[in-house]
Amino acid sequence: MKNRHLLTVAAALCASTLGLAACGGGSGETAADGPVSLDYTWWGSQDRADRMTKAIAAFEASHPDIDINPNFSDFEGYWQKRATEAAGGGLPDVMQFDLSYLRQYAERGALLDIAELGDAVDTSTIEETLLPSGQIDGATYGVPISTNALGHFYNPAILEQAGVAAPTGDMTWDEYDAWIREVTEKSPEGVFGSGDYTSTFWLFDMYLRQQGKQAVTEDGEIGFTKAELKEWWESPADLRQDGSLISAERTTQLDPKSPFGANETASEFSWDNFLAGYLTDTGAEKLEIVAPPTDTGDRGLFLKASMLYAIGANTENPEAAAEFVDFMVNDPEVGAIFGTSRGIPASETQREGATFEGADAQIVAYEESIADELGESPAPLPIGFGTLESNFKRLASDVNYGRYTVDEAVDQWFAEAESALQQ
Amino acid sequence: MSALQTGQPRDVLSAPASPDYRRARRAESRTGYAFLAPWLIGFFVLTAGPMLASLYLAFTDYNLFRAPEWIGLENFRQLFDDPRYLQSVKVTLVYVLVGTPIKLAAALAVALLLNNALRGQGFYRSAFYAPSLIGASVSIAIVWKAMFSDGGVVDLGLTNLGFPSEGWVGDPGKTMPMMILLATWQFGAPMVIFLAGLKQVPRELYEAAAVDGAGSMRRFWSITVPMLSPVIFFNLLLETINAFQVFASAYIISGGQGGPAGSTLFYTLYLYIRGFSDFRMGYASAMAWALALVIGLITLVMFRTSNAWVHYSGESK
Repeated sequence: MKNRHLLTVAAALCASTLGLAACGGGSGETAADGPVSLDYTWWGSQDRADRMTKAIAAFEASHPDIDINPNFSDFEGYWQKRATEAAGGGLPDVMQFDLSYLRQYAERGALLDIAELGDAVDTSTIEETLLPSGQIDGATYGVPISTNALGHFYNPAILEQAGVAAPTGDMTWDEYDAWIREVTEKSPEGVFGSGDYTSTFWLFDMYLRQQGKQAVTEDGEIGFTKAELKEWWESPADLRQDGSLISAERTTQLDPKSPFGANETASEFSWDNFLAGYLTDTGAEKLEIVAPPTDTGDRGLFLKASMLYAIGANTENPEAAAEFVDFMVNDPEVGAIFGTSRGIPASETQREGATFEGADAQIVAYEESIADELGESPAPLPIGFGTLESNFKRLASDVNYGRYTVDEAVDQWFAEAESALQQ
Repeated sequence: MSALQTGQPRDVLSAPASPDYRRARRAESRTGYAFLAPWLIGFFVLTAGPMLASLYLAFTDYNLFRAPEWIGLENFRQLFDDPRYLQSVKVTLVYVLVGTPIKLAAALAVALLLNNALRGQGFYRSAFYAPSLIGASVSIAIVWKAMFSDGGVVDLGLTNLGFPSEGWVGDPGKTMPMMILLATWQFGAPMVIFLAGLKQVPRELYEAAAVDGAGSMRRFWSITVPMLSPVIFFNLLLETINAFQVFASAYIISGGQGGPAGSTLFYTLYLYIRGFSDFRMGYASAMAWALALVIGLITLVMFRTSNAWVHYSGESK
């Protein structure tokens, strides 16, 4: 009799685990009359999450019939989760998206064509040159949230200590290299003019644009040759050799801070919305941004959609999702909440809604200073681009470690690009 | 309950089987399966199913976004043209071939020390075992990275001792020693098994050897090692298999990239990058099966060669 008793307990246990599993599967249903619930997800820091909570509260206050169910993670983990969800057909209703991944999801049919919803999302407030960033073959899969541009950051305190003049926005690349050498020579040990700036894919893209080319063509093909990549990676070879650049070992050591953020280099190229992060990392009172060097007079600068909103094709409530996206992109109060922490707001109404102060004002001033010289915004990037971008950085670092010659690294990048773009 | 256990011929047991008896037996086996159910369900749903799926995917170009297409052995062929794959094989082999013997030697040495009767033995045993309890965790890998970074405890210690170092984390030549040290420090599990083994070695053997004038080294090599060989074999097998699969610590210490300069690109880490960063699931599945085959092969070789050096004391040759 004891056995039968045990059997019952075991069966009950089994049933309850099965029940749990079943419960876990079916959370997507909504009652017909109750409020509509939207799953919304983004990547970013705690700071972004805090601002997001405020923005969501503002939306829910004005839209009592829509309930937002928020979720966030870091950038790497974010895309791993989205990939598995896409494979299983269960993407969230509204997602923050990146230019590198838009095409991959859109071509698979995982994203909704927002234009099909009519004017539910007002995009007339967004610069026309920027809208193609979210469009593929005439359909709109992404609405730009904000933009950023490449800039040349420098730290006035380090330059003062070295007694070297500040860089200007009118330098040539050779002048910049000479400037790096001078800063390294005149600075105390352990402080350098710069790190190896050739490891950033987007900076290479800017360099190519200065010569009237583009790293990725509109059709999503590689827009440069092996010889051009070789020339780029070899350009600071002298600086590498005479120790004018901070070493690869030290750079790895400092991670997750960049050498500039750790006060060990006087300058660094990056997206202009990094300013706030740099100020926190360095603890400096003031950092400056100027335009990066150019040999041709063409700056090669462009506005990049730093992030976009996309709606999952499987959403049960496309209208509600569109309402939410419209609010997040256009509402002035949301603009005020985020400031420039995600880049400059893409929508005019949000830019006008926000008063920019301190670092925010500095970024706005920088983008205004280059506004007349901007080129086309990049179109959605080819499938597999994320891999290409990280390979670019890794191989450039391997060159600095002396693991590969420039030639070997170039060959490897192209070999991997071929297999990544085939996907 | 079976014929084997009772030693009786089968028909003797089954002949008097009344319906009652049979029902009881069925009920009993049902109970047995009910208790096994959580494990069985887990095994079929979470292990066997995905394994079969990955075996299929290994022969496809599956990328999470498109339906998988059969490409035969293409993934396996590509492995040998992929410099990062070859690098990951090299890194992992160095780790297994150098790290495992060091770890086992450390475990055996500590087990020998703790085998002596000394005061507070229980405390020491627990203390030496402790790192293994927390060892596989993410937090330890983070602490380890901090200790070996520039300005970390190890780095400062070495600098003060007159060995200036600029941190181990950024130097491709020092990350492997760092990883091996981390593994070695977690010698607790094999140590406990060695201790148990040492308790089984008959004291008379040592006494007899001492009477014959054998020194301590001689006694170690001629008595301890042969008597312990089944335990050594067991530990070697287990630790080798574990070492092939190291992941969490490498992921944390290299920031998930296998750097600097590919020096911590362990096999499983590259597999993960291929699958979940590059979305090349077919390729990653092929990597997983190649690893499973190699581990299976090594296990087989170890078993086959074990007759030559593993001594089972109950066994007559």
